[in-house]
Amino acid sequence: MDVINSEATDETLIKNVCAGNSEAFVHLVRRYKHRVFALATRFARDFDDLDDICQDVFIKVYENIGKFRADAPFEHWLARITIRTCYDALRKRKKEKANVPLESIHNLIEDKSIEAKQAAEVARNLLEWGFAKLRPEERLVITLLELEDKSIKEIAEMTGWSQANVKVRAFRARQKLKRLLEKNNEK
Amino acid sequence: MDRLFLSVRSEKPDTAAIEEHFETRLMARLEEQRISQAFWPVWTWRLMPWFVTIVVIIAIGNAIYDPMRSSDLFATFTNGYEDFLTTSLLSGG
Repeated sequence: MDVINSEATDETLIKNVCAGNSEAFVHLVRRYKHRVFALATRFARDFDDLDDICQDVFIKVYENIGKFRADAPFEHWLARITIRTCYDALRKRKKEKANVPLESIHNLIEDKSIEAKQAAEVARNLLEWGFAKLRPEERLVITLLELEDKSIKEIAEMTGWSQANVKVRAFRARQKLKRLLEKNNEK
Repeated sequence: MDRLFLSVRSEKPDTAAIEEHFETRLMARLEEQRISQAFWPVWTWRLMPWFVTIVVIIAIGNAIYDPMRSSDLFATFTNGYEDFLTTSLLSGG
Protein backbone atom coordinates (compact mmCIF):
# COMPACT_ATOMS: atom_id res chain seq x y z
CA MET A 1 0.00 0.00 0.00
CA ASP A 2 1.30 3.53 -0.89
CA VAL A 3 2.14 6.17 1.66
CA ILE A 4 -0.88 8.42 2.10
CA ASN A 5 -0.50 12.09 2.74
CA SER A 6 -2.18 15.28 1.60
CA GLU A 7 0.10 15.49 -1.44
CA ALA A 8 -0.77 12.07 -2.82
CA THR A 9 -2.34 12.13 -6.28
CA ASP A 10 -6.04 11.47 -6.80
CA GLU A 11 -5.14 8.22 -8.51
CA THR A 12 -3.14 7.00 -5.52
CA LEU A 13 -5.87 8.00 -3.10
CA ILE A 14 -8.59 6.30 -5.16
CA LYS A 15 -6.52 3.13 -5.46
CA ASN A 16 -6.10 3.08 -1.69
CA VAL A 17 -9.79 3.76 -1.03
CA CYS A 18 -10.62 0.80 -3.27
CA ALA A 19 -8.23 -1.30 -1.19
CA GLY A 20 -10.21 -0.34 1.93
CA ASN A 21 -8.02 2.45 3.28
CA SER A 22 -10.37 4.90 4.95
CA GLU A 23 -7.56 7.37 5.67
CA ALA A 24 -7.15 7.84 1.91
CA PHE A 25 -10.86 8.57 1.67
CA VAL A 26 -10.55 11.24 4.35
CA HIS A 27 -7.80 12.90 2.31
CA LEU A 28 -9.97 12.76 -0.80
CA VAL A 29 -12.91 14.31 1.08
CA ARG A 30 -10.68 17.03 2.51
CA ARG A 31 -9.41 17.88 -0.95
CA TYR A 32 -12.79 18.16 -2.66
CA LYS A 33 -15.28 19.08 0.05
CA HIS A 34 -15.09 22.81 -0.63
CA ARG A 35 -16.10 22.36 -4.29
CA VAL A 36 -18.97 20.09 -3.33
CA PHE A 37 -20.16 22.57 -0.71
CA ALA A 38 -19.89 25.47 -3.15
CA LEU A 39 -22.09 23.72 -5.69
CA ALA A 40 -24.57 22.22 -3.24
CA THR A 41 -25.08 25.61 -1.55
CA ARG A 42 -27.09 26.69 -4.57
CA PHE A 43 -29.65 23.97 -3.90
CA ALA A 44 -29.70 23.65 -0.12
CA ARG A 45 -32.28 25.29 2.13
CA ASP A 46 -30.10 25.68 5.19
CA PHE A 47 -26.92 24.45 6.85
CA ASP A 48 -28.40 21.10 7.90
CA ASP A 49 -29.72 20.45 4.43
CA LEU A 50 -26.35 21.39 2.96
CA ASP A 51 -24.53 19.05 5.33
CA ASP A 52 -26.91 16.19 4.50
CA ILE A 53 -26.54 16.69 0.75
CA CYS A 54 -22.74 16.80 0.98
CA GLN A 55 -22.65 13.69 3.15
CA ASP A 56 -24.90 11.89 0.68
CA VAL A 57 -22.55 12.91 -2.14
CA PHE A 58 -19.48 11.48 -0.44
CA ILE A 59 -21.28 8.33 0.68
CA LYS A 60 -22.21 7.71 -2.97
CA VAL A 61 -18.59 8.35 -3.90
CA TYR A 62 -17.40 5.86 -1.29
CA GLU A 63 -19.87 3.20 -2.35
CA ASN A 64 -19.23 3.59 -6.08
CA ILE A 65 -15.56 4.47 -6.24
CA GLY A 66 -14.81 1.06 -7.70
CA LYS A 67 -16.85 2.05 -10.76
CA PHE A 68 -14.81 5.20 -11.37
CA ARG A 69 -13.02 5.06 -14.71
CA ALA A 70 -9.82 7.05 -14.80
CA ASP A 71 -10.46 8.21 -18.40
CA ALA A 72 -11.86 11.51 -17.05
CA PRO A 73 -10.74 13.60 -14.04
CA PHE A 74 -12.14 12.58 -10.68
CA GLU A 75 -13.49 16.09 -10.27
CA HIS A 76 -15.87 15.67 -13.22
CA TRP A 77 -17.19 12.42 -11.86
CA LEU A 78 -17.65 14.02 -8.44
CA ALA A 79 -19.49 16.98 -10.00
CA ARG A 80 -21.91 14.58 -11.71
CA ILE A 81 -22.62 12.79 -8.45
CA THR A 82 -23.12 16.16 -6.70
CA ILE A 83 -25.57 17.33 -9.35
CA ARG A 84 -27.57 14.11 -9.20
CA THR A 85 -27.70 14.22 -5.42
CA CYS A 86 -28.87 17.85 -5.49
CA TYR A 87 -31.49 16.94 -8.09
CA ASP A 88 -32.75 14.10 -5.86
CA ALA A 89 -32.93 16.53 -2.92
CA LEU A 90 -34.92 19.03 -5.02
CA ARG A 91 -37.36 16.36 -6.12
CA LYS A 92 -37.80 15.13 -2.56
CA ARG A 93 -38.76 18.50 -1.18
CA LYS A 94 -40.73 19.77 -4.21
CA LYS A 95 -44.09 19.19 -2.54
CA GLU A 96 -43.33 20.90 0.73
CA LYS A 97 -41.75 23.91 -1.00
CA ALA A 98 -44.44 24.48 -3.60
CA ASN A 99 -46.73 26.59 -1.47
CA VAL A 100 -44.29 28.61 0.55
CA PRO A 101 -45.21 32.32 0.45
CA LEU A 102 -42.54 34.87 -0.40
CA GLU A 103 -42.69 36.48 3.03
CA SER A 104 -41.78 33.26 4.80
CA ILE A 105 -38.66 32.55 2.87
CA HIS A 106 -35.58 33.27 4.89
CA ASN A 107 -32.33 32.26 3.45
CA LEU A 108 -30.72 30.49 6.33
CA ILE A 109 -27.33 30.22 4.75
CA GLU A 110 -25.45 32.76 6.76
CA ASP A 111 -23.01 35.04 5.14
CA LYS A 112 -20.83 37.24 7.30
CA SER A 113 -20.86 40.01 4.73
CA ILE A 114 -24.64 39.86 4.34
CA GLU A 115 -25.27 43.14 6.14
CA ALA A 116 -23.22 44.95 3.54
CA LYS A 117 -25.11 43.25 0.77
CA GLN A 118 -28.76 43.76 1.54
CA ALA A 119 -29.66 44.13 -2.09
CA ALA A 120 -28.05 40.82 -2.85
CA GLU A 121 -30.06 39.22 -0.06
CA VAL A 122 -33.30 40.59 -1.45
CA ALA A 123 -32.35 39.30 -4.87
CA ARG A 124 -31.45 35.93 -3.44
CA ASN A 125 -34.73 35.65 -1.54
CA LEU A 126 -36.68 36.66 -4.59
CA LEU A 127 -34.90 34.12 -6.74
CA GLU A 128 -35.33 31.47 -4.06
CA TRP A 129 -39.05 32.16 -4.03
CA GLY A 130 -39.22 31.88 -7.82
CA PHE A 131 -37.03 28.78 -7.90
CA ALA A 132 -39.31 27.07 -5.38
CA LYS A 133 -42.10 27.28 -7.94
CA LEU A 134 -40.08 25.70 -10.72
CA ARG A 135 -39.91 22.01 -11.44
CA PRO A 136 -36.74 20.36 -10.06
CA GLU A 137 -35.20 19.83 -13.50
CA GLU A 138 -35.92 23.44 -14.47
CA ARG A 139 -34.39 24.73 -11.28
CA LEU A 140 -31.34 22.55 -11.73
CA VAL A 141 -30.72 23.74 -15.28
CA ILE A 142 -31.26 27.43 -14.60
CA THR A 143 -29.09 27.35 -11.48
CA LEU A 144 -26.20 25.74 -13.30
CA LEU A 145 -26.60 27.96 -16.34
CA GLU A 146 -27.17 31.32 -14.69
CA LEU A 147 -25.61 31.06 -11.26
CA GLU A 148 -22.80 28.61 -11.79
CA ASP A 149 -21.97 29.87 -15.29
CA LYS A 150 -21.88 26.42 -16.85
CA SER A 151 -22.29 25.92 -20.55
CA ILE A 152 -25.09 23.88 -22.14
CA LYS A 153 -22.53 21.21 -23.01
CA GLU A 154 -21.23 21.03 -19.45
CA ILE A 155 -24.74 20.76 -18.03
CA ALA A 156 -25.56 18.00 -20.49
CA GLU A 157 -22.47 16.09 -19.39
CA MET A 158 -23.23 16.60 -15.71
CA THR A 159 -26.89 15.62 -15.86
CA GLY A 160 -26.77 13.00 -18.60
CA TRP A 161 -29.50 14.83 -20.54
CA SER A 162 -29.11 15.76 -24.20
CA GLN A 163 -28.02 19.29 -25.11
CA ALA A 164 -31.37 19.91 -26.83
CA ASN A 165 -33.16 18.82 -23.68
CA VAL A 166 -31.07 21.14 -21.52
CA LYS A 167 -31.79 24.07 -23.89
CA VAL A 168 -35.53 23.41 -23.81
CA ARG A 169 -35.57 23.15 -20.02
CA ALA A 170 -33.50 26.31 -19.64
CA PHE A 171 -35.82 28.21 -21.97
CA ARG A 172 -38.95 27.02 -20.15
CA ALA A 173 -37.44 27.79 -16.77
CA ARG A 174 -36.50 31.33 -17.81
CA GLN A 175 -39.98 31.97 -19.22
CA LYS A 176 -41.69 30.61 -16.14
CA LEU A 177 -39.43 32.57 -13.80
CA LYS A 178 -39.97 35.75 -15.80
CA ARG A 179 -43.75 35.33 -15.58
CA LEU A 180 -43.58 34.68 -11.85
CA LEU A 181 -41.43 37.73 -11.17
CA GLU A 182 -43.61 39.96 -13.32
CA LYS A 183 -46.70 38.71 -11.54
CA ASN A 184 -45.03 39.39 -8.21
CA ASN A 185 -44.07 42.91 -9.36
CA GLU A 186 -47.67 43.66 -10.28
CA LYS A 187 -48.82 42.72 -6.78
CA MET B 1 -33.98 39.06 -14.31
CA ASP B 2 -30.41 39.23 -15.57
CA ARG B 3 -29.61 41.72 -12.82
CA LEU B 4 -31.05 39.34 -10.27
CA PHE B 5 -28.89 36.50 -11.55
CA LEU B 6 -25.81 38.72 -11.62
CA SER B 7 -26.38 39.87 -8.09
CA VAL B 8 -26.79 36.32 -6.73
CA ARG B 9 -24.01 34.89 -8.90
CA SER B 10 -21.41 37.25 -7.53
CA GLU B 11 -22.22 36.32 -3.97
CA LYS B 12 -20.92 33.03 -2.62
CA PRO B 13 -22.11 32.05 0.86
CA ASP B 14 -19.39 31.29 3.35
CA THR B 15 -19.51 27.60 4.19
CA ALA B 16 -16.24 27.43 6.13
CA ALA B 17 -17.99 26.85 9.44
CA ILE B 18 -19.97 23.86 8.27
CA GLU B 19 -17.01 22.43 6.37
CA GLU B 20 -15.12 22.14 9.62
CA HIS B 21 -14.97 18.55 10.92
CA PHE B 22 -17.07 17.44 7.96
CA GLU B 23 -14.79 14.41 7.46
CA THR B 24 -15.36 13.32 11.06
CA ARG B 25 -19.15 13.51 10.71
CA LEU B 26 -19.01 11.72 7.39
CA MET B 27 -16.80 8.89 8.64
CA ALA B 28 -19.06 8.46 11.68
CA ARG B 29 -22.09 8.13 9.39
CA LEU B 30 -20.26 5.67 7.16
CA GLU B 31 -19.27 3.60 10.18
CA GLU B 32 -22.85 3.63 11.45
CA GLN B 33 -24.08 2.53 8.03
CA ARG B 34 -21.50 -0.24 7.91
CA ILE B 35 -22.58 -1.55 11.32
CA SER B 36 -26.28 -1.53 10.45
CA GLN B 37 -25.61 -3.27 7.12
CA ALA B 38 -23.48 -5.90 8.84
CA PHE B 39 -26.16 -6.73 11.48
CA TRP B 40 -27.84 -9.72 9.78
CA PRO B 41 -24.76 -11.49 8.45
CA VAL B 42 -23.00 -11.11 11.81
CA TRP B 43 -25.92 -12.47 13.84
CA THR B 44 -26.52 -15.31 11.40
CA TRP B 45 -22.94 -16.47 11.94
CA ARG B 46 -23.12 -15.91 15.68
CA LEU B 47 -26.23 -18.06 15.98
CA MET B 48 -24.85 -20.78 13.73
CA PRO B 49 -23.43 -22.97 16.60
CA TRP B 50 -26.87 -22.95 18.25
CA PHE B 51 -28.57 -24.06 15.02
CA VAL B 52 -25.98 -26.82 14.55
CA THR B 53 -26.42 -28.00 18.16
CA ILE B 54 -30.21 -28.21 17.74
CA VAL B 55 -29.87 -30.17 14.49
CA VAL B 56 -27.40 -32.60 16.11
CA ILE B 57 -29.70 -33.13 19.11
CA ILE B 58 -32.68 -33.82 16.83
CA ALA B 59 -30.60 -36.25 14.74
CA ILE B 60 -29.41 -38.13 17.82
CA GLY B 61 -32.93 -38.23 19.24
CA ASN B 62 -34.23 -39.64 15.99
CA ALA B 63 -31.56 -42.30 15.88
CA ILE B 64 -32.23 -43.46 19.43
CA TYR B 65 -36.01 -43.48 19.47
CA ASP B 66 -36.77 -44.75 15.95
CA PRO B 67 -37.61 -48.48 16.37
CA MET B 68 -38.08 -49.00 12.62
CA ARG B 69 -34.57 -47.89 11.81
CA SER B 70 -32.60 -50.67 10.23
CA SER B 71 -29.58 -50.93 8.06
CA ASP B 72 -31.30 -53.70 6.07
CA LEU B 73 -33.42 -52.19 3.34
CA PHE B 74 -35.46 -55.46 2.83
CA ALA B 75 -36.25 -55.63 6.55
CA THR B 76 -37.40 -52.03 6.52
CA PHE B 77 -39.93 -52.79 3.77
CA THR B 78 -41.13 -56.13 5.13
CA ASN B 79 -41.53 -54.90 8.71
CA GLY B 80 -44.59 -53.02 7.68
CA TYR B 81 -46.11 -56.08 5.99
CA GLU B 82 -45.47 -58.31 9.03
CA ASP B 83 -47.26 -55.80 11.23
CA PHE B 84 -50.18 -55.81 8.82
CA LEU B 85 -50.36 -59.67 8.89
CA THR B 86 -50.24 -59.77 12.70
CA THR B 87 -53.00 -57.17 12.95
CA SER B 88 -55.14 -59.09 10.45
CA LEU B 89 -54.68 -62.39 12.30
CA LEU B 90 -55.51 -60.92 15.70
CA SER B 91 -58.50 -58.94 14.51
CA GLY B 92 -59.77 -61.77 12.26
CA GLY B 93 -59.71 -59.55 9.19
